[in-house]
Amino acid sequence: MLKPYSRGLIIENMAAKSKKNRMPMRKSLQTAEIQAAIDYGIDISMLIQNVKRSCTERIIRHQIALNTVEKLRKARRL
Amino acid sequence: MSSDFLNLLERLVNADVDFVVIGGFAGVVHGCTYVTQDIDICCDFSPATLLALQRAISDLHPVHRMTPKRKKLKLTKQTCVQFKDLYLDTDIGQLDCLSFIDGLGDYNQVKGESELIEVEEMKVRVLSLDALIKAKKSMSRPRDKEAVLQLEAIKELKNSQQDLL
Repeated sequence: MLKPYSRGLIIENMAAKSKKNRMPMRKSLQTAEIQAAIDYGIDISMLIQNVKRSCTERIIRHQIALNTVEKLRKARRL
Repeated sequence: MSSDFLNLLERLVNADVDFVVIGGFAGVVHGCTYVTQDIDICCDFSPATLLALQRAISDLHPVHRMTPKRKKLKLTKQTCVQFKDLYLDTDIGQLDCLSFIDGLGDYNQVKGESELIEVEEMKVRVLSLDALIKAKKSMSRPRDKEAVLQLEAIKELKNSQQDLL
Protein backbone atom coordinates (compact mmCIF):
# COMPACT_ATOMS: atom_id res chain seq x y z
CA MET A 1 0.00 0.00 0.00
CA LEU A 2 1.43 3.36 -0.96
CA LYS A 3 1.57 6.18 1.52
CA PRO A 4 -0.98 8.92 0.71
CA TYR A 5 1.65 11.62 0.31
CA SER A 6 3.23 9.82 -2.61
CA ARG A 7 0.06 9.63 -4.75
CA GLY A 8 0.40 13.03 -6.35
CA LEU A 9 4.00 12.42 -7.30
CA ILE A 10 3.18 9.07 -8.83
CA ILE A 11 0.34 10.59 -10.87
CA GLU A 12 2.57 13.45 -12.07
CA ASN A 13 5.21 10.92 -13.00
CA MET A 14 2.68 8.82 -14.87
CA ALA A 15 1.35 11.88 -16.67
CA ALA A 16 4.85 12.86 -17.75
CA LYS A 17 5.39 9.40 -19.13
CA SER A 18 2.01 9.38 -20.86
CA LYS A 19 3.42 11.59 -23.61
CA LYS A 20 6.19 9.13 -24.43
CA ASN A 21 3.60 6.59 -23.56
CA ARG A 22 2.91 2.95 -23.36
CA MET A 23 5.85 2.30 -21.03
CA PRO A 24 5.14 -0.38 -18.47
CA MET A 25 3.92 1.38 -15.36
CA ARG A 26 4.08 0.41 -11.78
CA LYS A 27 0.61 -0.74 -10.87
CA SER A 28 -1.07 0.24 -7.66
CA LEU A 29 -4.64 0.21 -6.49
CA GLN A 30 -4.60 3.97 -6.02
CA THR A 31 -3.64 4.79 -9.57
CA ALA A 32 -5.58 2.12 -11.47
CA GLU A 33 -7.97 4.73 -12.87
CA ILE A 34 -5.10 6.93 -14.03
CA GLN A 35 -3.37 3.96 -15.62
CA ALA A 36 -6.56 2.92 -17.42
CA ALA A 37 -6.93 6.42 -18.85
CA ILE A 38 -3.28 6.50 -19.98
CA ASP A 39 -3.63 3.07 -21.59
CA TYR A 40 -6.65 4.37 -23.51
CA GLY A 41 -4.58 7.28 -24.82
CA ILE A 42 -5.93 10.08 -22.65
CA ASP A 43 -3.44 12.87 -21.96
CA ILE A 44 -3.41 12.92 -18.16
CA SER A 45 -1.32 16.09 -18.05
CA MET A 46 -4.25 17.97 -19.62
CA LEU A 47 -6.61 16.53 -17.02
CA ILE A 48 -4.25 17.55 -14.22
CA GLN A 49 -4.19 21.13 -15.50
CA ASN A 50 -7.98 21.15 -15.88
CA VAL A 51 -8.58 19.87 -12.36
CA LYS A 52 -6.52 22.79 -11.03
CA ARG A 53 -8.77 25.29 -12.85
CA SER A 54 -12.05 26.72 -11.61
CA CYS A 55 -15.38 25.68 -13.17
CA THR A 56 -15.61 29.06 -14.88
CA GLU A 57 -12.15 28.69 -16.40
CA ARG A 58 -13.01 25.21 -17.68
CA ILE A 59 -16.23 26.43 -19.28
CA ILE A 60 -14.53 29.41 -20.90
CA ARG A 61 -11.70 27.26 -22.27
CA HIS A 62 -14.27 24.78 -23.58
CA GLN A 63 -16.13 27.66 -25.25
CA ILE A 64 -12.93 28.81 -26.96
CA ALA A 65 -12.27 25.26 -28.19
CA LEU A 66 -15.85 24.87 -29.41
CA ASN A 67 -15.73 28.20 -31.25
CA THR A 68 -12.55 27.06 -32.97
CA VAL A 69 -14.16 23.76 -33.97
CA GLU A 70 -17.17 25.65 -35.37
CA LYS A 71 -14.94 28.04 -37.34
CA LEU A 72 -12.95 25.15 -38.78
CA ARG A 73 -16.14 23.36 -39.75
CA LYS A 74 -17.38 26.43 -41.60
CA ALA A 75 -14.00 27.00 -43.27
CA ARG A 76 -13.84 26.42 -46.98
CA ARG A 77 -11.21 24.38 -48.72
CA LEU A 78 -8.92 26.59 -50.83
CA MET B 1 -24.30 32.51 -34.85
CA SER B 2 -21.75 30.67 -32.70
CA SER B 3 -22.59 28.60 -29.67
CA ASP B 4 -22.63 30.41 -26.37
CA PHE B 5 -23.34 27.99 -23.58
CA LEU B 6 -22.81 30.48 -20.78
CA ASN B 7 -25.45 32.72 -22.29
CA LEU B 8 -27.81 29.75 -22.58
CA LEU B 9 -27.25 28.83 -18.93
CA GLU B 10 -27.67 32.43 -17.84
CA ARG B 11 -31.03 32.65 -19.59
CA LEU B 12 -32.29 29.52 -17.85
CA VAL B 13 -31.10 30.74 -14.45
CA ASN B 14 -32.60 34.19 -14.92
CA ALA B 15 -35.93 32.66 -15.97
CA ASP B 16 -35.97 30.60 -12.74
CA VAL B 17 -35.93 27.30 -14.61
CA ASP B 18 -35.11 24.63 -12.05
CA PHE B 19 -32.57 22.38 -13.80
CA VAL B 20 -29.43 20.30 -13.43
CA VAL B 21 -26.66 20.28 -16.05
CA ILE B 22 -25.97 16.69 -17.06
CA GLY B 23 -24.18 14.85 -19.89
CA GLY B 24 -21.06 15.92 -21.70
CA PHE B 25 -21.15 19.52 -20.53
CA ALA B 26 -21.30 18.37 -16.90
CA GLY B 27 -18.13 16.42 -17.71
CA VAL B 28 -16.53 19.61 -19.00
CA VAL B 29 -17.46 21.38 -15.77
CA HIS B 30 -15.77 18.60 -13.80
CA GLY B 31 -12.62 18.85 -15.95
CA CYS B 32 -13.00 16.59 -19.00
CA THR B 33 -10.94 17.74 -21.96
CA TYR B 34 -13.29 16.86 -24.83
CA VAL B 35 -15.47 19.36 -26.69
CA THR B 36 -19.22 18.92 -26.65
CA GLN B 37 -21.63 20.66 -28.96
CA ASP B 38 -24.73 20.73 -26.82
CA ILE B 39 -25.92 21.29 -23.30
CA ASP B 40 -27.97 18.56 -21.71
CA ILE B 41 -30.12 19.44 -18.76
CA CYS B 42 -32.53 17.47 -16.62
CA CYS B 43 -35.54 19.39 -15.42
CA ASP B 44 -38.99 18.95 -14.06
CA PHE B 45 -41.33 18.62 -17.04
CA SER B 46 -44.20 20.47 -15.41
CA PRO B 47 -45.96 23.03 -17.64
CA ALA B 48 -44.66 25.85 -15.42
CA THR B 49 -41.03 24.81 -15.91
CA LEU B 50 -41.33 24.14 -19.63
CA LEU B 51 -43.12 27.41 -20.27
CA ALA B 52 -40.44 29.27 -18.30
CA LEU B 53 -37.80 27.51 -20.37
CA GLN B 54 -39.59 28.49 -23.56
CA ARG B 55 -39.75 32.12 -22.46
CA ALA B 56 -36.04 32.07 -21.63
CA ILE B 57 -35.02 31.12 -25.16
CA SER B 58 -37.95 32.45 -27.21
CA ASP B 59 -35.87 35.08 -29.04
CA LEU B 60 -33.27 32.47 -30.07
CA HIS B 61 -35.56 30.82 -32.65
CA PRO B 62 -35.80 27.48 -30.85
CA VAL B 63 -36.79 24.46 -32.94
CA HIS B 64 -37.27 20.75 -32.28
CA ARG B 65 -34.09 19.53 -33.95
CA MET B 66 -35.17 15.87 -34.13
CA THR B 67 -38.32 16.56 -36.17
CA PRO B 68 -38.03 16.31 -39.96
CA LYS B 69 -38.94 19.95 -40.62
CA ARG B 70 -37.34 21.31 -37.45
CA LYS B 71 -40.68 22.42 -36.04
CA LYS B 72 -40.69 25.65 -34.08
CA LEU B 73 -40.96 25.32 -30.32
CA LYS B 74 -44.50 26.30 -29.48
CA LEU B 75 -45.40 24.94 -26.09
CA THR B 76 -48.70 25.59 -24.40
CA LYS B 77 -49.95 24.49 -21.02
CA GLN B 78 -51.84 21.71 -22.79
CA THR B 79 -49.06 20.45 -25.09
CA CYS B 80 -46.39 20.45 -22.38
CA VAL B 81 -47.71 17.17 -20.99
CA GLN B 82 -46.94 15.39 -24.28
CA PHE B 83 -43.20 15.66 -23.82
CA LYS B 84 -40.76 13.57 -21.83
CA ASP B 85 -37.67 14.97 -23.58
CA LEU B 86 -37.02 18.05 -25.69
CA TYR B 87 -34.20 18.15 -28.21
CA LEU B 88 -33.84 21.78 -29.21
CA ASP B 89 -31.64 23.84 -31.44
CA THR B 90 -31.30 27.58 -30.85
CA ASP B 91 -29.28 30.41 -32.37
CA ILE B 92 -26.64 29.96 -29.68
CA GLY B 93 -26.46 26.20 -29.37
CA GLN B 94 -28.26 22.94 -28.92
CA LEU B 95 -30.18 22.35 -25.72
CA ASP B 96 -31.41 18.90 -24.77
CA CYS B 97 -33.87 18.70 -21.90
CA LEU B 98 -34.55 15.35 -20.27
CA SER B 99 -37.03 14.42 -17.59
CA PHE B 100 -35.34 11.13 -16.67
CA ILE B 101 -31.79 9.79 -16.69
CA ASP B 102 -31.05 6.08 -16.96
CA GLY B 103 -29.20 4.88 -13.91
CA LEU B 104 -30.31 7.85 -11.81
CA GLY B 105 -34.03 8.45 -12.17
CA ASP B 106 -36.32 11.44 -12.49
CA TYR B 107 -35.56 15.11 -11.91
CA ASN B 108 -35.92 14.96 -8.13
CA GLN B 109 -33.46 12.07 -7.91
CA VAL B 110 -31.08 13.80 -10.28
CA LYS B 111 -31.31 17.02 -8.28
CA GLY B 112 -30.51 15.01 -5.15
CA GLU B 113 -27.27 13.91 -6.79
CA SER B 114 -26.24 17.33 -8.01
CA GLU B 115 -23.97 20.02 -6.63
CA LEU B 116 -24.20 23.78 -6.82
CA ILE B 117 -21.38 25.57 -8.63
CA GLU B 118 -20.82 29.26 -9.22
CA VAL B 119 -20.04 30.42 -12.74
CA GLU B 120 -19.63 34.14 -13.38
CA GLU B 121 -21.77 35.01 -10.36
CA MET B 122 -24.59 32.66 -11.26
CA LYS B 123 -25.35 29.52 -9.35
CA VAL B 124 -25.91 26.44 -11.45
CA ARG B 125 -26.70 22.88 -10.43
CA VAL B 126 -24.45 20.26 -12.04
CA LEU B 127 -24.63 16.50 -11.71
CA SER B 128 -22.01 15.32 -9.22
CA LEU B 129 -18.93 13.50 -10.47
CA ASP B 130 -20.02 10.18 -8.97
CA ALA B 131 -23.55 10.45 -10.39
CA LEU B 132 -22.21 11.42 -13.80
CA ILE B 133 -19.94 8.36 -13.82
CA LYS B 134 -22.93 6.21 -12.85
CA ALA B 135 -25.11 7.71 -15.60
CA LYS B 136 -22.41 7.41 -18.27
CA LYS B 137 -21.72 3.81 -17.30
CA SER B 138 -25.39 2.89 -17.52
CA MET B 139 -25.58 4.23 -21.09
CA SER B 140 -22.61 2.10 -22.18
CA ARG B 141 -22.38 3.72 -25.60
CA PRO B 142 -18.92 3.48 -27.21
CA ARG B 143 -18.45 7.26 -27.00
CA ASP B 144 -19.16 7.20 -23.28
CA LYS B 145 -16.22 4.89 -22.62
CA GLU B 146 -13.65 7.67 -22.91
CA ALA B 147 -15.83 9.99 -20.84
CA VAL B 148 -16.00 7.41 -18.04
CA LEU B 149 -12.23 6.91 -18.16
CA GLN B 150 -11.65 10.67 -17.99
CA LEU B 151 -14.16 11.13 -15.17
CA GLU B 152 -12.69 8.30 -13.11
CA ALA B 153 -9.20 9.71 -13.62
CA ILE B 154 -10.47 13.16 -12.59
CA LYS B 155 -11.98 11.67 -9.45
CA GLU B 156 -8.63 10.12 -8.61
CA LEU B 157 -6.81 13.38 -9.35
CA LYS B 158 -9.22 15.36 -7.18
CA ASN B 159 -8.69 12.90 -4.35
CA SER B 160 -4.98 13.46 -4.57
CA GLN B 161 -5.18 17.16 -5.46
CA GLN B 162 -3.83 18.35 -2.14
CA ASP B 163 -0.77 16.27 -2.78
CA LEU B 164 -0.36 17.69 -6.29
CA LEU B 165 -0.56 21.36 -5.31
